Amino acid sequence: MFKKKKKQENEIEIVDLNEDDTQEDAHTVIEFVGVCKKYSQGENEFYALKDANFSIKEGEMVVILGPSGAGKSTLLNLLGGMDSASGGQILFDGSDLTTFNDNQLTHYRAQNVGVVFQFYNLIPTLTAYENVALMRDIKNNTLDPTKALEAVGLKEHMHQFPSQMSGGEQQRTSIARAVAKNPRLLLCDEPTGALDTGTGKEVLKLLQEMCRDKKRTVVMVTHNSLFAEIADTVIRVRNGGIESIVHNEDPKDASEVNW
Amino acid sequence: MLIKKMWRDLIRNRTQFIAIYLMSFAGLLIFVGIDGESAGAARAAEAYYKQYNLCDIWVQGAGFSDEEVSKADKVTGVKDVEKRLTLTGTADTLSGDDTFMYINFLTSNEINRLMLYEGEPYDENKEGVWLEEWFARTNRIKVGDDFTVKIDSMQIDTVVMGIVDAPDYVYYVSEADVMYPNYYKCGLAFMSPLMYPDPEDIMYNRLIIDVSEDMADDDSISVIRDKLKNTFDRDDIAITDRHQDLSFATFDAEIKQHQSMGFMFSVVFFSIALLGIVTTMARVTANQRTQIGTLKALGFSNIEITVHYVSYGFVISLLGCISGAVTGYLTIPPWILGMFEGSYLMPGLNGVLTHKSVYFTILSVLAATMVGFFTCRKELKDPPAVTLKPPAPKKVRHSALERSKLWLKLDFSTQWNIRDVFRNKLRSLMGIMGVTGCAMLLCCGFGTFDSIDGLIDKMYGELMTASNKVMLGSEADYGYAYDLSKKLKGQMIQETAVELASGDVKKSGSATIVGRGNYMHIQDVKLRTVELTGNGIAITYKMAGLLNVKEGDYIKWHLVGDDEWQYTRIAQIYRDPSVQGLTMTKEVYESLDYTFNPTAILTNMSVPADLTNEDEVTSVLNVADMKKSFSETMEMMNAIVFIMVFAAVFLGIVVLYNLGVLSFVEKTREVATLKVLGFKSREIRKILQKQNIWLTVIGIAVGLYAGWGMLYIICTTVSDTLDMYPVLKFQTYLYTIAGTFLVSVSVNSMFSGKVKTIDMVEALKGVE
Repeated sequence: MFKKKKKQENEIEIVDLNEDDTQEDAHTVIEFVGVCKKYSQGENEFYALKDANFSIKEGEMVVILGPSGAGKSTLLNLLGGMDSASGGQILFDGSDLTTFNDNQLTHYRAQNVGVVFQFYNLIPTLTAYENVALMRDIKNNTLDPTKALEAVGLKEHMHQFPSQMSGGEQQRTSIARAVAKNPRLLLCDEPTGALDTGTGKEVLKLLQEMCRDKKRTVVMVTHNSLFAEIADTVIRVRNGGIESIVHNEDPKDASEVNW
Repeated sequence: MLIKKMWRDLIRNRTQFIAIYLMSFAGLLIFVGIDGESAGAARAAEAYYKQYNLCDIWVQGAGFSDEEVSKADKVTGVKDVEKRLTLTGTADTLSGDDTFMYINFLTSNEINRLMLYEGEPYDENKEGVWLEEWFARTNRIKVGDDFTVKIDSMQIDTVVMGIVDAPDYVYYVSEADVMYPNYYKCGLAFMSPLMYPDPEDIMYNRLIIDVSEDMADDDSISVIRDKLKNTFDRDDIAITDRHQDLSFATFDAEIKQHQSMGFMFSVVFFSIALLGIVTTMARVTANQRTQIGTLKALGFSNIEITVHYVSYGFVISLLGCISGAVTGYLTIPPWILGMFEGSYLMPGLNGVLTHKSVYFTILSVLAATMVGFFTCRKELKDPPAVTLKPPAPKKVRHSALERSKLWLKLDFSTQWNIRDVFRNKLRSLMGIMGVTGCAMLLCCGFGTFDSIDGLIDKMYGELMTASNKVMLGSEADYGYAYDLSKKLKGQMIQETAVELASGDVKKSGSATIVGRGNYMHIQDVKLRTVELTGNGIAITYKMAGLLNVKEGDYIKWHLVGDDEWQYTRIAQIYRDPSVQGLTMTKEVYESLDYTFNPTAILTNMSVPADLTNEDEVTSVLNVADMKKSFSETMEMMNAIVFIMVFAAVFLGIVVLYNLGVLSFVEKTREVATLKVLGFKSREIRKILQKQNIWLTVIGIAVGLYAGWGMLYIICTTVSDTLDMYPVLKFQTYLYTIAGTFLVSVSVNSMFSGKVKTIDMVEALKGVE
């Protein structure tokens, strides 16, 4: 296991964690090596992400922080195998996602990734229960949909359609769906973006529990810097580059966060 | 779960899917129905002719001997020969004592076998009479009844033994000019030679010849005909085949008419429906873009997602096509074939599900499925990160109009609509296509009525201007005809059958020889009335086309019943709607060494009622009767046209409604924005209707033009004997334009009415 010195143009603050080389249980799930994502529109080239280097350990709660357009979503899409990088390596358990073909990427998404979308992206014609149960079509050893929904406190609304539920309930369904897959990586794109403070806090709590109690790796993208306090690692993104990577010694409880 | 999703999506997008269902349903209903009808008629005819052994060749002449029969039997290819005597006479029935009768004295009856409905089967050793079923039924004659026929001075009193049908009398009428059968006044009887008043002296005037099955094609039959001609070596015989036989040819032409018209129409209809299915399916799938992205992001493989979306189109179009095909098969053939009754005596008329129908069903399902496939593939091409976002806005280029000065002078609604039309070209095009299809079918449908009317008006108003036609029998000689024509101030004409040939093509037609007078006219190719010149013969435009000859060419022809071929210059080409063949003056005819033998006298004078009592006169027809009779033969054509008009309206409603829903959904956000900006619902409705009116106007313009083209094709291909000219009356334009507008505008106002119901807040929310 190695840590790369981040060569950022901006001065960055690095907390070296080399000392916990001793903690052999903390296995690296994902590692970005010089990853960039380029969009070209005619003559114009535009880097949504350039030379990103970082790694995420199993069971970590990571918050990717940055203003709109900084490249957070690009980062999340690359992590989730939902987009392909233009350069660099994305290592998942040592295998490079950038070399995967479409089928391998689909398999990666199906087996290892659970996504909580900013706009929930539930299937409107399926009930909450069915949306979660849909995961059984993709993967074996999924969690029981009822239990997953119970865990997010939606047992009573289980048979409602997305259009009958509030934003928070839909977001929780979305989380239940991601969790039910029993994925290695739980990716959340602005999970509280469309929610009020109270509901948002509950969602955060839920995600933190996933991480702490269920030992899942959670990566959350947000523009709200307050969320940095609950993360084990905070990756700050700006203008398509990684500004800093900070490891929190003592992350706060989700319930303590106020915004 | 995905299957559950599919069913719920189908319900949620029910307008579109019902539209797809209805379009599949209607497309197949019409196609399978019309195809099944004509195929059913063709199959029934084939089966009937085969089972009851319709003869392949007729030989007509005076007094055939047994020796000649056995000589004919030995000709290569001839399987069987039978002699019979066919005469005309009268019978005493419900309709009077002068009911016209065809009387056949049959021998063994192995060829043209009678089909028995009731009573005893025909036996040449049995006394009695066998009557045709419709005639018997109409006149309430039953087995066991007494029946009397008169042939000239002979009278035969006998008993009805059986009620039958005959394969050589599928269609029979008393006169060639009476096109629609009247079984009340015209009947058909079969008897054994025993019944002939003087059985020893019976002179058979017909040989019916059955050709062995491997020689039953047109070319072989033509060869056998030539051989027979040499065998008999007589000048007074006429050898004809099925194509010259009134019964066979009339029924055959009817089926061909249905086939050409039905196929043309149902293919056009089917194509429009298919277009509707394809675009709707494409749009429905494309609208699920975000869901496709979600499923993909969740880890569904491309194959799973494709199968899911393809199954929408598959399930719906399969349901629609199969139910449409079944309904079409069960309803349309019985309806149209039911109309054959009374015109044609064809047993076993049932619809048939043809291979073509099956292929079209498969094609239609495949189209809906493939569209789903390709649209879905398109959305799956990008990684989920891209598909999850709404599609990139289309690149907008300013059209030339927008750059011109004129643009600034246009009001907002016009500008908005022009942009909207050009930015959604496919949708606009589909809207135009829907209107076009509707207008086209309406225009063609009404135009067919107009053309049939025009045909009748031309036949009995321009080409033949007499009000009465006195039909002369074979007893009438030239002297009699001449005297009668003087008395009635009439014009003598001779109508007879001919066979024409040029190169390898042989066609049968009719010849009209006209005496002096002013009741018969011809019109040239451009439909100008011209004089018949004395420099040669004139042949009809359609016949010239079939024989591939033009003015100035020479063609061969001979009278049926006379084997001497003439080789004559074509002096004129003329058009005749219903009779194809040639015409010439009495002088030209006589210069070819023929004797002018009038068969009818045309007159404008009222004909004394007792004229028909004279032996030389068979009947007197007036124009009104002839017109009525002709339009009755068009009854089935009218039924097909009726289906066409009905289908046009149906199709128009479905396509336009469906498009309306789709466009409305797509425009919801824009409409909501306009509302937020302060536009009144009424104003927005006006804006939406404006675009619809533009598209409708364009669609109607294209539709009228296309409808004329379709009518032109139908008119020119309808049959070998009908030369229809496409006619569009003023009312047709009116009905088409008004009808299409009504459909289009009323469908659209249903949607623009919904503007009020758009919730501004909801409509503007939710999308990134």
